[in-house]
Amino acid sequence: MQREIIGKYNEAVFDTDRDRALEVINTAIDHGITPEEIVFDVIIPAMESMMESISKDFDANLAQHFMAAQIASEVTEAMIARFKTPPESLGTIVIGTSVGDMHTLGKRIVSGCLRSMMVNVVDLGVNVKPELFVDKAVEVGSPVIAISSMMMHTATSENGCKRVRELLRERGLEDKIKIVVGGAPYRWDNELYKTVGADAWAENGITAGEVIKKIVMEARS
Amino acid sequence: MITGMDRLVAAINGEKSDRIPVFCNLLDQGAAELGIDSLEEYYANGEHVAEAQLRMREKYGHDNVWSLFYVGKEAELLGCEKIIFSKSGPPNVEDFVIKSYDDIVNLEIPDDISTHPGFEENLKCLKILKREVGGKYPICAYITAGMTLPAILMGMDKWLELLLMGPADIRDLLLEKCSDFFRKEIKAFRDNGADVCVYSNPFGSTDFVSLKQFEALSMPWMKRDIEPGGVGGLVYYCGSSRFNKVIDRVIEELGIGVFYLSPKDDIAEAKKIINGRGLTCGVINDIKLVSWSREEIRAEVKRMCDAGMPGGKFLFGTLVMPYDIPEQNIRTMLEAAYEYGSY
Repeated sequence: MQREIIGKYNEAVFDTDRDRALEVINTAIDHGITPEEIVFDVIIPAMESMMESISKDFDANLAQHFMAAQIASEVTEAMIARFKTPPESLGTIVIGTSVGDMHTLGKRIVSGCLRSMMVNVVDLGVNVKPELFVDKAVEVGSPVIAISSMMMHTATSENGCKRVRELLRERGLEDKIKIVVGGAPYRWDNELYKTVGADAWAENGITAGEVIKKIVMEARS
Repeated sequence: MITGMDRLVAAINGEKSDRIPVFCNLLDQGAAELGIDSLEEYYANGEHVAEAQLRMREKYGHDNVWSLFYVGKEAELLGCEKIIFSKSGPPNVEDFVIKSYDDIVNLEIPDDISTHPGFEENLKCLKILKREVGGKYPICAYITAGMTLPAILMGMDKWLELLLMGPADIRDLLLEKCSDFFRKEIKAFRDNGADVCVYSNPFGSTDFVSLKQFEALSMPWMKRDIEPGGVGGLVYYCGSSRFNKVIDRVIEELGIGVFYLSPKDDIAEAKKIINGRGLTCGVINDIKLVSWSREEIRAEVKRMCDAGMPGGKFLFGTLVMPYDIPEQNIRTMLEAAYEYGSY
């Protein structure tokens, strides 16, 4: 049953058909599947299988990435509202775009993936100063600072990831907080994440969710 | 003396000139070339942009000049009042024109873009370029497709939300207005001297949408965009996204004859698909030009020329060259293109 629901749900997501995806979920609910089961036995495994496919060079497109994150996040939020007891979060991370960068899509996809996997996301918005990234990460106990940059100069800026790294070093936080970066420049230069001082990078929003969740889980253990 | 236009025309006709045409897209670098510290000051004056394009073409010897300032300028023509400038890279739209669906209903497309105050500096730039190198070096303009323009008017995530989840009537109203804007903008550029119009549409790529969505959405709106002015001088470009999978359909349905590939597209495969029906532009991964060694740059240019030159109808190009590329790397790339691109 679970496999059949995941199959139908993922098929709808790959077709970027939100209505059909929601129909699959609603039908499952009508058949007695609980909101808890929908999230933990359908949405999370479905998202994980999608991450696995995409990280194995699955030829998915941006529309599919966007819809996968959007639908998963939306369904999770609706289901959580119907949980008997609030679910335990795996942790909290902070995300934002670097100084000078106003692009929002990448971090929205990452945030959607993470929320559907029970990771809280504090979205700092666009054009975020390095100090804010670090201060907020400390405040919420985040093991990850996720920085999105869609342009070369905002990725390599002295006020971007490089400065976040310096601040973590200065404050002795490098063991506690890891930096994950993403965005177009990193896709064109796969070593660029090292140049800017990040710990990891991800090719796209969906795989970023996987990379970040892994760090969150490591921080919990 | 052989000019860039001679080389381009020879390539289009499948003939050999001294070498393949080499297009190098140096934009923000113009400020440093003129000794202007601020990009905001530099882009405020079309004379600056034209002068820098002419100087950089002389200095490096490539075959084209640009009337492009920055992509956000199109949003300014439609009411964007806030652009965020940087010291070392292209500016961003800071304040989106469309914040709610009501803004779509109220969005007005100027009747004649040539007379719009926001186009004044573009016109200045075009006139200077036309006077100085018209007919000798292709003057390039960049125009965002109707289907992609909403991304700079409302943000990419909001646009994807509307595009993929509706409401369909609002989506179509916006697409119609953006397509109208495209038609007027390309006419203004053509009327004022642009030879090459880069038709930028990431939604014409299977990296952005599925083939099914390409057929159902992208294709009809592309047809509408280009129908009045035709495909003369039009270059198919998907903002660095791959599009080998749709080339055949684009040739058959739209008749576009120049393809500015993604650095991730296979050049030899693209040429095989195009099969003499158009011009193929191999595009270098210019982000890597920041860090590649001289040997790596030369090897990559050689690889691209080896893949693209057999059978002719090939040119070499760059994306939007990042500001941080060292000047010697620009020279190395161009000298390699001139050397390996020689007939």
